[in-house]
Parts: sequence; structure tokens; C-alpha cells
Amino acid sequence: MADYDADATELLETYDFLMKYIIIGEAGTGKSCLLHQFTHNSFKDHSQHTIGVEFSSRTVKLGEKRIKLQLWDTAGQERFRSVTRSYYRGAAGAILVYDITNRQSFQNLSRWLADARALASPNLVVVLVGNKSDREDEREVEWAEASRWAAEHDVHFLETSSLTGDNVEAPFLLCARSILLSIESGSLDPDKAGSGVSYGDRALRRVNSSSRLSFGSLSGRRKKGTVKLRLKDYVPGTANSECC
Amino acid sequence: MTSSSPSTSPLVSRRAVFGSSSSPSPTHGRNPVSLRLYKVLGAGFEDEPTKEALRTLSELYGATSASGAKTTLVNGKTAKGETQVDSDTDDDDDTEEGASEEAKLSLGPFLSDEVTAPTGAAAHARKNLRRDIDVKLAGSSRKFLSALGQVDQKLDALQAYITTMRAQCDQAHTQLHTTNEACKSLLDQAGNLRQERDTVATQQTILNLFVSRFTLTSEEVIALTSRDVLPGKRFFAAMDKAVKIREDCRVLMSVDGPTKAGVDIIAATSSNLEQAYDKIFRYLTSEFQAIGRGNRDWERSVDPDANLEASPTLKEAVRRLRDRPELLSDALEVLSQTRQSTLLATFLDALTRGGPSGLPRPIELHAHDPLRYIGDMLAWLHQAIAAEREFMESLFELGRDGIGGRMIGSARKFEKGRMGEVEEWIGDMVDKNVGKLSGPLKLRVQQTLRSQESPILAYKVSNLLKFYELTMRRTIGEDAVLSEALREMSDVSDKVFFDAIEAQGRALLRLLLNLDDTALTPPAPIQEHMQMLRDILSVYESSRLDDSGRTEAEESGEDGKSKSPSEFGVERILDVMVDPALEVCLTAAEEKRRSRPSWDQAVFVLNSLTYLQGVLESYAFASTKRESLSAMIEDKVNQLVEEHYHDVLKDTGLDTVIIVLQAKDPGVPLSRLDAAQPHELSVALQKFSSWLSGLEVMHSPRLAQLTVQRLHSKIHQTALARLVKIYQRLCEEVRRPENRYEAASTLLGGQRPFGQIHLLKQIFGLGDEDE
Ligand SMILES: Nc1nc2c(ncn2[C@@H]2O[C@H](COP(=O)(O)OP(=O)(O)O)[C@@H](O)[C@H]2O)c(=O)[nH]1
Ligand SMILES: [Mg+2]
Repeated sequence: MADYDADATELLETYDFLMKYIIIGEAGTGKSCLLHQFTHNSFKDHSQHTIGVEFSSRTVKLGEKRIKLQLWDTAGQERFRSVTRSYYRGAAGAILVYDITNRQSFQNLSRWLADARALASPNLVVVLVGNKSDREDEREVEWAEASRWAAEHDVHFLETSSLTGDNVEAPFLLCARSILLSIESGSLDPDKAGSGVSYGDRALRRVNSSSRLSFGSLSGRRKKGTVKLRLKDYVPGTANSECC
Repeated sequence: MTSSSPSTSPLVSRRAVFGSSSSPSPTHGRNPVSLRLYKVLGAGFEDEPTKEALRTLSELYGATSASGAKTTLVNGKTAKGETQVDSDTDDDDDTEEGASEEAKLSLGPFLSDEVTAPTGAAAHARKNLRRDIDVKLAGSSRKFLSALGQVDQKLDALQAYITTMRAQCDQAHTQLHTTNEACKSLLDQAGNLRQERDTVATQQTILNLFVSRFTLTSEEVIALTSRDVLPGKRFFAAMDKAVKIREDCRVLMSVDGPTKAGVDIIAATSSNLEQAYDKIFRYLTSEFQAIGRGNRDWERSVDPDANLEASPTLKEAVRRLRDRPELLSDALEVLSQTRQSTLLATFLDALTRGGPSGLPRPIELHAHDPLRYIGDMLAWLHQAIAAEREFMESLFELGRDGIGGRMIGSARKFEKGRMGEVEEWIGDMVDKNVGKLSGPLKLRVQQTLRSQESPILAYKVSNLLKFYELTMRRTIGEDAVLSEALREMSDVSDKVFFDAIEAQGRALLRLLLNLDDTALTPPAPIQEHMQMLRDILSVYESSRLDDSGRTEAEESGEDGKSKSPSEFGVERILDVMVDPALEVCLTAAEEKRRSRPSWDQAVFVLNSLTYLQGVLESYAFASTKRESLSAMIEDKVNQLVEEHYHDVLKDTGLDTVIIVLQAKDPGVPLSRLDAAQPHELSVALQKFSSWLSGLEVMHSPRLAQLTVQRLHSKIHQTALARLVKIYQRLCEEVRRPENRYEAASTLLGGQRPFGQIHLLKQIFGLGDEDE
């Protein structure tokens, strides 16, 4: 995780890619706090209920790539479902959050995932996040169980604490990395509308100057290997299975 | 000097000979040659020098011939020549040598003259040496003399030369002096000139510095004014310099007063600067025209937040042009125009075409589902606004110091005064850029609403619009075009909704109750009507939870503790929905009663009222309506209590006695009145007693029709309590002597409850407490 922290601090003026994420999950699981940690590096005290949908953004660095993330925080309450559903349109990534101390929030995951799969683009990258990992004593959902669920549903998985800030950047970067790999493999085209990704000015300028789109580190054979290796650590059920 | 060296040279040897030969004469006593000679003579003759001297001597006498006349002549002058030689030998070696040479040459003839008999040379020499030598010396001296005389002459000539030279030197010196004098002023002049040159050089340096500081180089001017140099590093650097020149100049002139140079410089740089600003303006204008149009074909996409990014140069240009607000304003107007048309095009594409590959699907595909349709449009707008806002913030370089951005949803202060200038630009731009979208949005929302027949759906749409109205107010401000449009749309949807429920209410009012329907419960149409109210109230309730979040603080700030607009809204809904139902219950029931008197209208009304109240029961916000219903119910209950009491009184058989009792003149004894005569009274009491043993004491068939069981018992009990009271009064009156009953106790005690009030209460199941 250390290299994620190192990579993701800078605030940058230009970027290579713009990616749209939607943050979903039951109310009270800590979605807003997670975002706040990610965008402000601090815990959001006295977090109020999210009303409908709120927006924030942050630029991160992945290797040589600068990626601007547009983050759409949604309210988990049922009555906002009709509103938040409209925001899946064209999201490239979804951060699906549950609360490890609240079994109910875990049990409802399938519903959220179904919504996401139905309404978002087919290339949607989903990262499952078990939040509030600081409250180990009150844990109601075991890591292994969630990891199994994630593997069955073909989503990435990790645990975070938006209180301590532990691991909070990882889901966002993991998601971005996954999307970049899709772009590289050709299954996702940022030029296509509705993909939730578009080129930034920085990438465009590079295109213009070299008349060839370079993916920099991700295209390089060596770096590519590194990325895959690292991704593997996060793919549920492959590595780290003894963790926690 | 020669004498000190070993005498190896012939000359020295000869000298030694002369010296020794002349030493006996007083004149030559100190002659070194003589001395030496003596010394030599006094010594042995074996050594080499002595031998040499002797050899010389012998040569002298051997070679001489007779020439005595000359010798004598020469001798005469010896003393004088010797002195001459002495004094000159030190001065000039050549002279001495020359002289010695001559002396030597002349020695030959002299000696030969003296030595007459060569054979006896030694004797001759011994006899005449001194004289010979003297003669020789004198001859030599004379030679010296004549030689020195020549020298003297030459020296005189030399002297004359020297004198002449000195005179000439003096003259030259004088001339030099004069020249020197003359030169001095020249030098002074040269010095002055040099100083002047230095001053001028310094001035030149200063001037150069000044020029480089206070004027733009031609390159800089070109950078500023030429159309070939695009705004960039070079251009901005030149601009910085021009600005600095002007400032410095102003500072200078504020100290020294206006100078022509200063004014000129300011004028020139100002003109260059203005050209630079014009150039920025042209640059921005063309860049702004290019943003999102033409040069990037994929930007015409349905993605509301497709790439929008400000390059560093663009940002810098905007920052610079903020010094010329009117130009910036014009440039931004261009940007706004292109953004408006781009956004409009992308919005329409998103609505009608979807993505190029059909994904996401066009929003209009869901036009049949009004909530989703309108929700998708509004979400698209919301996202477009976020992207637009981000673009503007980056264009104006806002929020560069924080890591992240402010949450767009979170409250933003929009009071003009407290907002920074940049905030104001940004706000205006975002407002303008997305404002045009309100047209197509409004059109579609209104179409959708107009085709809506279900009030509940209209109500949901209305709530959705209100939700976004709130979101937009926080995001782009209350006065923004889109906020205004959303307000209008939500007004329209409100109107559609209220029109629908009012129409439904009016339809309900036309409802005539079925005369043949004997049921005492609210009819189906009313129940359906109220079910709809229930649905509406649930929607309201869930939407009202939105307000309970942070908005509560915002809104209560405006009008204190008074009700929020939505609370006024729901009261209106309650009025519009409940009142017609109420009306139907009251007036239609009245009409039915007229045609069907047997139909229990009072119970029907009470049942209807309690039903309506029941519908509102679970909604705290409906308390006002509930309370007014409660009051009506209370009235109806009291009315029913009255009716029921009289019914019961009639059933007990006590009614006539009680009427008489209540109507009697106080002066007339009760027993004297017809219906209260002891016999009649006894019959009535008997009937009462038998009624007491009947079922109806506990249960009223009429009241059993009430849907609310609680009201049944309440009304019945109240009526019975009144019965107890009137029975008690009857007993008291009967027992009073003034009423002249002879066996009052027997009369009352003959039948249950035997004049005992507590017993009657027991039978009725009423509490024993006295009131
Ligand atoms: N202990 C702990 N509490 C958290 C954490 N994240 C959020 N919370 C708390 O959980 C509550 C809900 O957080 P919020 O972000 O509003 O949840 P949301 O409804 O999903 O947006 C708040 O009271 C937070 O203080 C966490 O990582 N650890
Ligand atoms: Mg939240």
C-alpha cells in the first residue's frame, strides 16, 4: 500500500484521463467519510446524511499517468434510489461500500451491485470496500467471507478505515488502474462517450506532439508487468488470503 | 698600476731601465723607474727581470749611432715633458703609450750619439748612463710636450665645441621649457577631456541601464505586439516588464514630477501593453471558440463531463486579462456562447441519440417513465454543471491550495458582497453556460407533466423537481437561470398535481350516496380517494426527510419558526383532499337521510369522520387537519350521546315521568301531576326494572354500528351516566315531603334498583365515585 500513498498526493493542473466514479452502498456505511478522507486527507466529523448526490474531485498519479477523478457520492437511503440511479449513467468505476460492523449493509450488497450492473456501462469496474476496519471488536462480516463474495461477483475487494485513513486511497487507485488496463487492452475506448473516461488535455497534447498515443509506463513491458503483479495482490482470492 | 704587476712586458722593463737610470738626479729621485732600477741594481743580477733589464740596456748602447745633436735638444725640455707625462699618464693611457713609443723610437739615435765607442760600451754606459738617460728623458719629454700641445689644442677645440653645445643645450632647454609650458595646458585639456569622457561613459552606462530598464527591446515589443508571437513565456515576460516600466515610471514621476521622458515612456509602454491586452483578448477569443468545438471531434459527445480542461497558458492569459475586466468579459462572453451551444448539442444528443455505440441509451428512451426520464435529465444537468464548474475553477485557478475541491453539493454562500470577484465570474459563467439548457428541459418536463393523469406521479415529479431546485440553489445559486427554471417547472408540476387532486375532489362532491345501501361505513369512492391521499402523504413524508437534514437550519434562518413551504404545501394537499370527502359525508348523507329516514345518518357520519381521522393518524405533520376532525367528531359524539340518552330513557319507560319532573312548577307537588301519580310512577319503575335486566343495558344495537368500538362504549356509558343522574333526581324528588308521596320508600324500594344509586351504577358498570 505504501506506493499508493506515495503516488497519490500531488495536486495537478493537467491530466491524462478523466474518470467518473460513483460511490454506492447503504446509508451510514461511511461513504461520505471515505470520500472526505480521500479528497481532504482528514476524517469528516459530524458527517451529515448525504442528500441525493454530491460531487467532489481529485487528481491522482498512477505511474506517469495523471488521472482526474470525478467522484459522485450518493445517499444510501431507499427514498433517494430513484435520484441516485440516474448517476450510474456513464460511470467508469463504482466504489461499493459496506460496514464491516453491520451485517445488514453486507447482505444488501447484491441489490446495489445489480443496480450498478444494470444501469452503468458494461465495462464498469467495481471495487468492494469493507469500511470501518478500525472497529475490529464489533466486526460482523469476516474478511474471508467478503472476499469470497467479491470473487463470486467478479469485483475487487479491500477493507478501509475512513476514520484512521487506513487504505482509503487504495480502492480509488485500484479502480483507476483496472480502468487503465481496460483502455490498454482495447476493451474500453475513452473516445467513446458514456465510457466514463475521457482524455485530458495532457494526453491530447502528447497525441498532438508525437502523433501517437503513448501509454507511457503502462505500455512499457516492464512496467506493465509491475502493474499486473500489483493488481494480483488485490484480486480477491488469489493473494493475501491469509490477511486479517 | 703597471708597476704593481710583474714586469713581463718589454715596455715595463724599459721603463724600469729609465727609472733606475734617472734615480741619482734630484729631479728624478722619486721617479719610480729610477727607484726600481736602483733596487734592481742593488740586487743580484741572476734573476730574470734583472737579466732582462741588462739585456735592454745593452741593446740600448749596442744599437745607438751618433746623433748627439738631437739628444741635446731633446734633453733641454725634459723637465717640462716629464711633468706633462706625469700629469697625463693617469688621464689617458693612449697618450702615455704614444708618448712612450715616441720616446723609445727616439732613444736609438740618442744613444748611438752618446756611445761613440761601441766596443767599450759597458764602460761608456757606466760613465754616461745617467746623462744618457736624462737626455733621453728630456727628448721624450719634449716629444710629450709637443704631443700634449697638440692635445691641448684639440682640447681647446673641444672646449669650444662644448661651449657651443652648452649654448645650444640651453637653447633647447629653453625651448623645451616653453614647449612644456605649452603642453601643460594641452595636458590639462586632455585631462578634462578624459574626465568628460568618463562622465559621459558613466552617463552612457546609466542611460543604457535606464534604457534597458525603462524601454522594451525591439524583441519584447515584437513579442507584445506581433501577431506571429503567440502568448507564451516570452510574451508574458515582456508584459511583466512593460507593467514594471510603467510602475517604475509612475513612481519616478511621483517623486520628480512629470518629465517629458517619463510621459513618453509611459505613453509608449502603455500603448504596447494595450496591444498586448488586445492580443490576449484575441488569443482567448480564438481559444474559447475552439474549446469544445471543431478541433476535437469527440467532444461532441453525450458525456456531460467529457474532457474540459484549461491549459496553463490559457489560465495565465485569463489571469492577465483580469486587469481589463471589460475585455475579459467580452472574451468570456465568447466562451459562454460556445459552451452554451456545445452543451446544448451534447444535451440533445444525450436525449435523442445516446452514445455513438448506443451506450448509454438515449435518455428519451425512458420518456414513458416520467420519473426516470426527468430524473435522468436532471442528473445529466447536475453532472454537466459540476464539470462546467470545475472547468471554470481551473480556468480561474481557483482552489489551487486545497487538496480536493469543496463538495459541490455542500452549501455555498451566494451573497454578492462576500463572494470573491473570481467566484462571481465563475458563478456567472456557469450560470450562463448551462442556462440555455433549461429551455429543452422545461419543454420536456412540461410535456411529460401535461400528459400525466396520475396525481401521485405528478406529485413525485414535483418532489423530484423540488429536490433538484434545492441542489441547484446550492450549486449555482438561487438566481441562476436554471434554478429559476426549476422553480417554474416545480410550480407547473405543483399546479398539475393540485389541478388533478382538485378535479378529483370535485368529482367526489358530485357523488350521490346509494339510497339502497344500508351500510353505515364510508363508501368505496371515498376510501379510494383517501387511499390516494395516503400515497401522496407517504411521498411527502419521505421527501420531507430531505429537509430534516442540513436544509432545516438554512430555511429556519429565513423565517424563524414558521412553517416551511413544504408544510404549507401539505396543508393545502390535506385541504384539497380531505375537505371534499368531509363534504360528501355531511351533505350527501343529509340528503340520503331525507329520503331514507331509517338510515342512521349520525352513525354514518361519525364512522366517516373517524375513518378520515384514521387515515391521517400516522402522519405527525397532519395534526392540524386531524385536530379539526377531532373537534367535529367530538360534536358528533355529543350529539349521539344526547340522542342515545333519550332513546335509552324512552326504553326504560321513565321518560314521561322525567318530562313531567323537569317541566313542573315548583309550587305544585309532583304526586299531584298526572304522569307522576303513585300508580303511574310505580308502573314506570317496574318497566325500568325489567329494562335493567335486558341486554340493552350493556349493548346498544344502534351504537354497535359504529366502526370505532371505543366510541360505542363511550357514548353508551355517557348516556347511562346521565340516566343514573336523572334517576337519582327522581328518587330525591319522590322522597321530598313537598311532593306528598305517602309511601315514598315503599314506592321506590318495590323494584330494582330500589332507589339505590350505587346499585344502579353497579348494574351499569359505572364507577362509584361521586361527581
Ligand atoms: N469508526 C468508524 N466510523 C466511521 C468510519 N467511517 C464513517 N464512520 C461513521 O459512520 C457514520 C456514517 O458515515 P457517513 O460517511 O455519513 O456514511 P454514508 O451515509 O455512507 O455517507 C458517521 O457517524 C461516521 O462518523 C470509519 O471508518 N470508522
Ligand atoms: Mg453520505
